[in-house]
Amino acid sequence: MTETPARAAPFASLLGICKSFAATCAVDDVSIDIYEGQVLALLGENGAGKSTLMKLLYGVHEPDRGKIIVDGPGENPISSPLDAMRLGIGMVFQNFALIPALSVRENLLLAWPDTPVVIKKIKPQNDPVLKKLYEIAPQIDPFQKVGSLSVGEQQLVELCKILNLSTRLVILDEPTSVLTPAEAERLHGFVRSLAENGVGVVFITHKFSDVKACADRIAIMRRGQLIEDVEAQSIDHDGLVRAVMGTDATSRADPPGPPKSDQPRLQIRGLSAHSRNEVLEDINLNIASGEIFAIAGVSGNGQSLLAEVVAGVHQLDDGDVLLDGTSIARHASAQIMKPHVAYIPEAPRINGCVEDLDLGLNLALRDLSTVGTKPLANVRAELEKFDVRPPDPAKKAGDLSGGNLQKLVIARELADYGKAVLAVYPTMGLDIEATKAVYARIFSMAAAGAAVLWISEELDDMLESAHTIAVMRSGHIVEQFKNSHHLTRQKIGALMTGAHDA
Amino acid sequence: MKAWISSVGAPTALTCAAFTLVTAVFFISIGQPAIKTIADMMVFAVGDSYSLSETLVKTIPIMMCALATAIPGRLGLISVGAEGQLHVGAIFGTAVMLVLPESFGLLGLCLVLVAAAIGGTLFGFIPGVLRVRLGINETITTLVMNYIGVLFVSALVYGPWRDPANQGWPATKSFPEDLILPFFFGTRVHAGLVIAIGIAVLLHLQFHRGTWSRQIKVLSGNRKVGETFGLNYAFTALLLMCLGGAVAGLAGIFEASAIQGRLQPGLSAGFGLTGFLVAWLSRHEPLMIVPVSFLVAGLISAGDALQLFAKIPAASSTILQGLLFATALAVPGLIKRYRGRYGN
Ligand SMILES: Nc1ncnc2c1ncn2[C@@H]1O[C@H](COP(=O)(O)OP(=O)(O)O)[C@@H](O)[C@H]1O
Ligand SMILES: [Mg+2]
Repeated sequence: MTETPARAAPFASLLGICKSFAATCAVDDVSIDIYEGQVLALLGENGAGKSTLMKLLYGVHEPDRGKIIVDGPGENPISSPLDAMRLGIGMVFQNFALIPALSVRENLLLAWPDTPVVIKKIKPQNDPVLKKLYEIAPQIDPFQKVGSLSVGEQQLVELCKILNLSTRLVILDEPTSVLTPAEAERLHGFVRSLAENGVGVVFITHKFSDVKACADRIAIMRRGQLIEDVEAQSIDHDGLVRAVMGTDATSRADPPGPPKSDQPRLQIRGLSAHSRNEVLEDINLNIASGEIFAIAGVSGNGQSLLAEVVAGVHQLDDGDVLLDGTSIARHASAQIMKPHVAYIPEAPRINGCVEDLDLGLNLALRDLSTVGTKPLANVRAELEKFDVRPPDPAKKAGDLSGGNLQKLVIARELADYGKAVLAVYPTMGLDIEATKAVYARIFSMAAAGAAVLWISEELDDMLESAHTIAVMRSGHIVEQFKNSHHLTRQKIGALMTGAHDA
Repeated sequence: MKAWISSVGAPTALTCAAFTLVTAVFFISIGQPAIKTIADMMVFAVGDSYSLSETLVKTIPIMMCALATAIPGRLGLISVGAEGQLHVGAIFGTAVMLVLPESFGLLGLCLVLVAAAIGGTLFGFIPGVLRVRLGINETITTLVMNYIGVLFVSALVYGPWRDPANQGWPATKSFPEDLILPFFFGTRVHAGLVIAIGIAVLLHLQFHRGTWSRQIKVLSGNRKVGETFGLNYAFTALLLMCLGGAVAGLAGIFEASAIQGRLQPGLSAGFGLTGFLVAWLSRHEPLMIVPVSFLVAGLISAGDALQLFAKIPAASSTILQGLLFATALAVPGLIKRYRGRYGN
């Protein structure tokens, strides 16, 4: 890949860095060099300290101990993100900072160093601020409001914003966990071309496909420590899994047996609904007790709306959603529904928790109107059961790392066996071990009789475990299959993008 | 230093210190002896039983307006409508007084208070409904409705409610003694103080214990998540707007009956706005509002007295209030930044 960059002096060196938050030691004596022109993949389980380490370099946090040297002799030259930007370092965070009410171009202009006082109208093709956007995300209309973009598209806009600024080092924090496979591939290509042009990239990820596609060097963290720092060629897939997990966790969750009855448990009948940027038209689905029904689709094609309607959060226009024959949908906006299904929403930071409140209260959201606060010991046990780190009931949900927040929502929703599970991208941002645990839990709930509606972009996982797979595009179910070996990734992928019609 | 600045009391202690400092600088800048003037202020605020009682008299409406702001504030609603609610409360209460026959006793007093609460509720309900049904910003509507409330009082006392016995002075007839709350020890401090503190304690319990407090926390933290779990934002918002209005309405009738003795223009010396600021300084904590309103009331009384005795410009009292709010907002912010920089 890139020409032996290790021979050059490192662009940034972190030496013996430590950082604690109250009792949590997030980064523990880490030393690492970062080079220009090299893609460093930073791996590790949820809560290993990857984000924190990079935030230390970017000046969001200051280290408790240790030295940071950037581009020359001075020590700790960065005390705020502004300093980092001046040195040509940019970071795309897991939860990004765009202004939803402004257009894509306006958001980019806000952070553009050469923004003129008077913004002239010029052809978008010639607009320098949009150049990067056209390279990595040509499908995004620069005049669209950011609020109406899907999470993946917003991620790409944020990336363009940072790329417009940073010339020397770009830090990407789990960028692909919200991207569709096609978007991720385009990003990989772009990351490679950045490196070839001499820009350093730190790529935090859980996906081995990212590592394979673009890493030159691999660093692995576990519980705050750097446990591995090797050239990408010198480690294979299994070695990587072992190093990340500390175990041979290559096996997957056992898929559940076939559903026992055909009697539909969760029924969606003639459902139509609309939100600001999605529509659903005449959706009909029947999910039997014990059936795992997967919906594949490129995000933004109505899946999030479908999920919210089934969960009783969003109002429907027509049709109905029935659970064992009783309606569970919200027919008018004034109607307030009790939660009937176990619901793992998309973007749990926004849709699944209250960031300002502690973990104990966030775990108790399902029984807000009935029970009082649970004893702390129970809360801690529940957090530990789903491996939420740290399992501290008094910690604020907003302080959890992305993967742990996802686990928190799962711990709440999948704690009890219910009649139906509605899981939207349930393993987003989770490491291998946690992914396996979540699938195992969902499958065992199906085995116990729950109807499972599973919305995902993980085609391989669906093909392996779902009983039925439906493909959703532009607010319609375009096709529905019983799962069998005849069904392939390519076939579903083509239906998702509409390549069949062309 | 690092450990100390992370302690809970640090923001309050530092705010007080910083405020004393800027007050001193202010007095020096207008050519007054700083230390002596500050000492005088203390005396004028709480130095003898008369000063203390006058400070307490001002504490009552400020505290109630602050509570009226804090109640919807717990849900993240920003109501600036206490001033208008106070006036409408006074109107409703006075209306009952005007129609009741002489000497109606305790029942009459209760009717007057209930009517005042209903008046305030109405002025909380309207912006509340506009907010939850039509999504109209409650800050704007409450602001505009303040003018309606204040001017409505003028319209009534210059018009149909003017008592001819007043020889042209725009005011209603006086409240009979049995429709006024009892006073303490011959001062102007009335039982409203006990009611206000009682409301603060009740609210504290409601906002910190029990199911309802958790529901409000969830809804204010994330409305969508709250609704996902079956909580009713619209109803809660409306209820809190109404409750806030009721408390401010009571403050209005207290001022009209116990302090001024009748309904007349100039019912409130900007208590609504002062209360709003007190609520924000107290971070919408009912039990913080009690001492903070007392402090601000003391500042206002002392400022008024200084004007008379120390020949300090009339605007000083307002300027000092402004400085208090500015320091109280700036100091915790700076501390937070400092903490953020050096870890928790
Ligand atoms: N601002 C913060 N306040 C308190 N704890 C934090 C904060 N940021 C991260 N942590 C904790 O530090 C640990 C490492 O988190 P993080 O670096 O986000 O992990 P990840 O490797 O998943 O990115 C976690 O236990 C997390 O809860
Ligand atoms: Mg992270």
